Amino acid sequence: MANVSVAAEWQLLYNRYYRKPELYPMRWKHVDLARNKIAAAPFGGPLAVIRDDSKIVQLHGESALRKLRLFSSSGHLLADTVWRNPGGRLIGMSWTDDHTLVCVVQDGTVYRYDVHARLIEPNLSLGKECFESNVADCAFWGNGVVCITESNQLFCIADFKNPNAVKLADPGIVEPPRCMAVIEPQYTVSGNVEVLLGVGDGGEEEDAAVIAVEEDGVQRLGGEMLRGPLQKMVVSRDGKWLASFTHDGRLLVTTSDLTGVIIERECESALPPEQLAWCGMDAVLLYWDDMLLMMGPDGEPVTYLYDEPIILIPECDGVRILSNASMEFLQRVPDSTVSIFTIGSTSPAALLYDALDHFDRRSAKADENLRLIRSSLPEAVEACVDAAGHEFDVSRQRTLLRAASYGQAFCSNFHRDRIQEMCKILRVLNAVRSFEIGIPLSIQQYKLLTPSVLIGRLINAHQHLLALRISEYLGMNQEVVIMHWACAKITASLAIPDATLLEILLDKLKVCKGISYAAVAAHADKNGRRKLAALLVEHEPRSSKQVPLLLSIGEEDTALMKATECGDTDLVYLVLFHIWQKRQPLEFFGTIQARQLARDLFITYARCYKHEFLKDFFLSTGQLQDVAFLLWKESWELEKNPMASKGSPLHGPRIKLIEKAQNLFAETKEHTFESKAAEEHAKLLRLQHELEVTTKQAIFVDSSISDTIRTCIVLGNHRAALKVKTEFKVSEKRWYWLKVFALATIKDWAALEKFSKEKKPPIGYRPFVEACIEADEKGEAIKYIPKLADPREKAESYARIGMAKEAADAAAQSKDGELLGRLKLTFAQNAAASSIFDTLRDRLSFQGAS
Amino acid sequence: MAQIPNLDNAPVNLTSIREQSQKELINILKNVRGKKCLVIDPKLGDSLSLTIQTSILKEQGVELRHLSAEPIQSDCNKVIFLVRSQLNLMRFICSNVHDDISKGLQREYHVYFVPRRTVACEKVLEDEKLHHMITIGEYPLYMVAMDEDVLSFELDLSYKECQVDGDASSLWHIAKAIHKLEFSFGVIPHVRAKGKASVRIADILNRMEAEEPINSSDMAVPEINTVILLDREVDMVTPLCSQLTYEGLIDEFLHINNGSVEIDASVLGLQQEGKKTKVPLNSSDKLFKEIRDLNFEVVVQILRQKATSMKQDYTDMTTTTQSVSELKDFVKKLNSLPEMTRHINLAQHLSTFTSKPSFLGQLDMEHTIIESQSYDICFEYIEELIHKQEPLTTVLRLLVLFSITNAGLPKKHFDYFRRELLHSYGFEHIATLNNLEKAGLFKKQESKSNWLTIKRTLQLVVEDTDTANPNDIAYVFSGYAPLSIRLIQHAIRSGWRPVEEVLKLLPGPHLETRRGGFSNSPSFDTFYGVSNSIDKVPDGRRSLVLVVFVGGVTFAEISALRFLSAQAFSVVSSWQLLTEQNLKGPKKTWHMI
Repeated sequence: MANVSVAAEWQLLYNRYYRKPELYPMRWKHVDLARNKIAAAPFGGPLAVIRDDSKIVQLHGESALRKLRLFSSSGHLLADTVWRNPGGRLIGMSWTDDHTLVCVVQDGTVYRYDVHARLIEPNLSLGKECFESNVADCAFWGNGVVCITESNQLFCIADFKNPNAVKLADPGIVEPPRCMAVIEPQYTVSGNVEVLLGVGDGGEEEDAAVIAVEEDGVQRLGGEMLRGPLQKMVVSRDGKWLASFTHDGRLLVTTSDLTGVIIERECESALPPEQLAWCGMDAVLLYWDDMLLMMGPDGEPVTYLYDEPIILIPECDGVRILSNASMEFLQRVPDSTVSIFTIGSTSPAALLYDALDHFDRRSAKADENLRLIRSSLPEAVEACVDAAGHEFDVSRQRTLLRAASYGQAFCSNFHRDRIQEMCKILRVLNAVRSFEIGIPLSIQQYKLLTPSVLIGRLINAHQHLLALRISEYLGMNQEVVIMHWACAKITASLAIPDATLLEILLDKLKVCKGISYAAVAAHADKNGRRKLAALLVEHEPRSSKQVPLLLSIGEEDTALMKATECGDTDLVYLVLFHIWQKRQPLEFFGTIQARQLARDLFITYARCYKHEFLKDFFLSTGQLQDVAFLLWKESWELEKNPMASKGSPLHGPRIKLIEKAQNLFAETKEHTFESKAAEEHAKLLRLQHELEVTTKQAIFVDSSISDTIRTCIVLGNHRAALKVKTEFKVSEKRWYWLKVFALATIKDWAALEKFSKEKKPPIGYRPFVEACIEADEKGEAIKYIPKLADPREKAESYARIGMAKEAADAAAQSKDGELLGRLKLTFAQNAAASSIFDTLRDRLSFQGAS
Repeated sequence: MAQIPNLDNAPVNLTSIREQSQKELINILKNVRGKKCLVIDPKLGDSLSLTIQTSILKEQGVELRHLSAEPIQSDCNKVIFLVRSQLNLMRFICSNVHDDISKGLQREYHVYFVPRRTVACEKVLEDEKLHHMITIGEYPLYMVAMDEDVLSFELDLSYKECQVDGDASSLWHIAKAIHKLEFSFGVIPHVRAKGKASVRIADILNRMEAEEPINSSDMAVPEINTVILLDREVDMVTPLCSQLTYEGLIDEFLHINNGSVEIDASVLGLQQEGKKTKVPLNSSDKLFKEIRDLNFEVVVQILRQKATSMKQDYTDMTTTTQSVSELKDFVKKLNSLPEMTRHINLAQHLSTFTSKPSFLGQLDMEHTIIESQSYDICFEYIEELIHKQEPLTTVLRLLVLFSITNAGLPKKHFDYFRRELLHSYGFEHIATLNNLEKAGLFKKQESKSNWLTIKRTLQLVVEDTDTANPNDIAYVFSGYAPLSIRLIQHAIRSGWRPVEEVLKLLPGPHLETRRGGFSNSPSFDTFYGVSNSIDKVPDGRRSLVLVVFVGGVTFAEISALRFLSAQAFSVVSSWQLLTEQNLKGPKKTWHMI
């Protein structure tokens, strides 16, 4: 039976099964792991291979220059480049999370390559101290590296995205450590990386310890518990456990702060293993020349023999084993798989799997099996689905899924999407596992990695089509893929003419609604294809993205047009300042003069902060009146300035400014009024200045002409008032109002009366009446009320000073019923007055009726 | 600080918008750790007082200060400037920072722009070489709920910016604000706009929708059915007339600022002489909600009635025996006593103004000008006001009204008035006059006025208005139906088409469009706050109308809208509640800015 052969490939460690399927036979030729330094990225990532310069190897007719070659996990050559980097021996090499290959050389320089073997500028450095004393060893994690120099100092770059070299605390050791390991920042208490150094020489047990070094402190851990120095250490994936090999041939598993020993097991050899690695979380692998030993918490270790060198590549759920000829994956057999394929298993899942087999062979036993497991059918289906997910073999995936689907038909309450979902995942996994792509992800790794990161890796490796298909298939946003493709396409298509390339690009870009054409255009511009950029940016619907780009490719006029069109004044300002800075003033003025919004915005800004420049602008465009207004305004500000104290000759500059404005106004016919006004203003200031000198009172400057007249009268200086009147041709009407009110202010009733008799006032006696009433001088008011010509005015005036009878009479004279009514309301409280109005109104309406 | 208006009865969920604004502000404050000094520009402070309680700010360890030219006095070494992105405010920030530098104070500076950072403002900071010392962020406060049915975009200078300076920034702002509303309430399917700015806003709005589409599938039915955009420029007559509703009059004489009015405590019969006190005015005050929109004449009567009935109840209470439930009712009524006394006091205070002959004369003149029959009488009246040196705003208000209804004044009169104004009030007002001319408010006559036609066609003057039982919006101005609201009335009822001829006589283009791919699915219960509707969409659903006054609105107009909305509900939005002060204020101070 098929089941037997599946389980036959498993090995039992303690109470768990392990399997080691081959993922790929390696496609590469003439790669000998023994001669090379290898860096393998986790999550089925690429391999970097370079000849090891610390080993003496025989060159088989090849160049003495070393080559850095990048392979996919299936051994497919991705890219290569000649290694010509100075700085001494290559100490360490590793892939970061975003698939940048980081290479540290002896003098502390860090070279970085992308997956296309292109050097990423600039090179980083671990600092001057590293340069002076060579780097001896280094340890990597996700996005960082720690180096130890020959003088036993530690340096660290915590994040390659933000590469700053930091020196860690001095571990205070003389001899180089025997081994080194790091705990990733995300698992330490401090949030900074922690370096573990195994120190001590073989003889003295007390000396042996692990030194934990951080940025700001050193701690000595372990001590007695270790019973001698450690030869090799490795930290588990979650940073909690430390597996180590002691000088006397023991495997120790401790907590990573070395406070407790979890497992301690004797090995047959005291020679430290070449490689030590965690296999998932429940086994440790030790590799000596041609022997791989797997140790669990208990029971006999499992031994694998290899006659060629291997590299252990730890993954989250197992270890990949790379040899010259093949890539294998050593993994604990998942529980669902165990339940189905263990020899003699009678679990529901195994019976379901068996039932499918019978069903295929048209055997009635299928039904019997099903009936046996009826109650636990859902869990059987679930186990089949789960086991299918963990399979690398496509035909076995299919069989398991068929079993699941067969079982599902008989159970109503199984979550139907499960199978479909699993099919989706497996399709994606199988696609990326293919030889050409060479990413052998397990389902657990895939889930941890997330689909979007996987897509990111695919496009990074220029597998755009597959990435696009996957994101489409999974219903994810395709924008990232299309965008990356477009940029890559532009970089790679130097020979294709702009128009053709544009068409190719547009054809794909239109797939995504809302894609940023501006970003693609910016890339085109960076690649020196300004014209293509201009063509692309045309298609950008978002003005806020379009305009800045147009500016950066030098299309200022288009930018200004687009900004104006979209109505966002902020963008117009952006363009405005850009042009302002770039062009000569006159040219700048010319540009904005033609565009109203830009011009108006410029004026608004300049009014606040660039006054002089604004004048230049108005002069250059011939808007002399605007310059004049500015000057006039300046004259006003001069006044507000405390330095220009009143009565001092500092009025001189003000008057000069106003006169300048007057002349500018006079240049254009339309502004004669303003010109005249400016002239008068200057004249007024001079006159007020004189008045202040003669009266020795600083109360005139900056009051209006009318106020000046009033002030003069109030001060009793009638001659001066008259002078102002004639000087500024003040009309008789205004003169009368002003004088009457001024006289009332100082309560000079005699003078008022005299004034009323000078001649018949040109505006009648109303001003006199009003002034008196407002001053609450009834006696004075009565003098003038009878002289009012309009009976209605008369009535209201009487009413205002409370003379009901007289008011009523005047109102009756005017024959105005509405007025009578209103007056009655005014006198409402006074019953006697009220009745007067009623009689009068009755008489009126009676008249009207007759 | 004024009381934050209660928004529970709003026709759309304005509370969520306000909560969002609160949350954003608190996040900004949280991002700056520890004690900090929050420096707010005063105008923005007013807007914030309608958004968030000061106590909540204090909980965030904030010391509050107002931004001015004076250096801030504070021990905090973290300073957050929260300012509108206005160029002139940058000067204050710069002087503050420079002052600290000169004193050797080292502080951490954050500048948050409202509603967004702008290149121009940042350029000022850059030119002052302060850019590197300042962390810049934005606080996207695009609108503030003034009341349950009124939103404000808080753009109090925009009319001047737009009409005089040609700075169209506020149009983008307003489109953005509407777009934000659409994110919450769905794409508004019908757009009607009148006026240059309004049509432009509709255009920008469409652009925004194209650039940043609202996912309409998320929302079942757009909550707002129609947006009506109206330029203030279209109707400059209405804001120049004295508002005669209760709320309008309070504004005319006492100036409502951000939903509250500041008056002498003595007016309210409080003991503290000379002290100012703030009275919040919004719909949370039940009595105010009842009387705010009524003609003042009627308000006085209603208050008297209420007082009398209260007195009656009281006498009944003391003379006859009452059941417990009757007692309860009485006590309930007593609860409204403080509100009643407050409004009776206010109304009394107002009548001291309204009974003045000068005010009555002014009202008379406004009507004469609107009637547009007796040019000479108006001319002489205004001339006399100038000669008497009455307050400039009063004079300009009438003069502008006069100029607008006549499509400008003959050159001779135009120059005469200008000369008399400069002589009477000072030459510095040349700037004001220049601005008024640029905005077309006070200008030389160039064509024949079509005001008479407009007035007649739209029936703007309504004889025999019964202010107590109004049947037309004209009650708010005792006989004049505000042009703006008349237009909106038509727009709601039947769209622009029937009034197209009149629209052509008014400044600016008009537009009517349908947008969004939304299909009219019959859903009846998603709309609320609407009683019997005049505008029914074919399937009979009641519709919500958003009315946007581009350039400001008066309280009387809002009252008129509420009168209409007793029939069809509408949310009013405005750049800023436009009052006489807002209209002229910026112009008066123009030369100093």
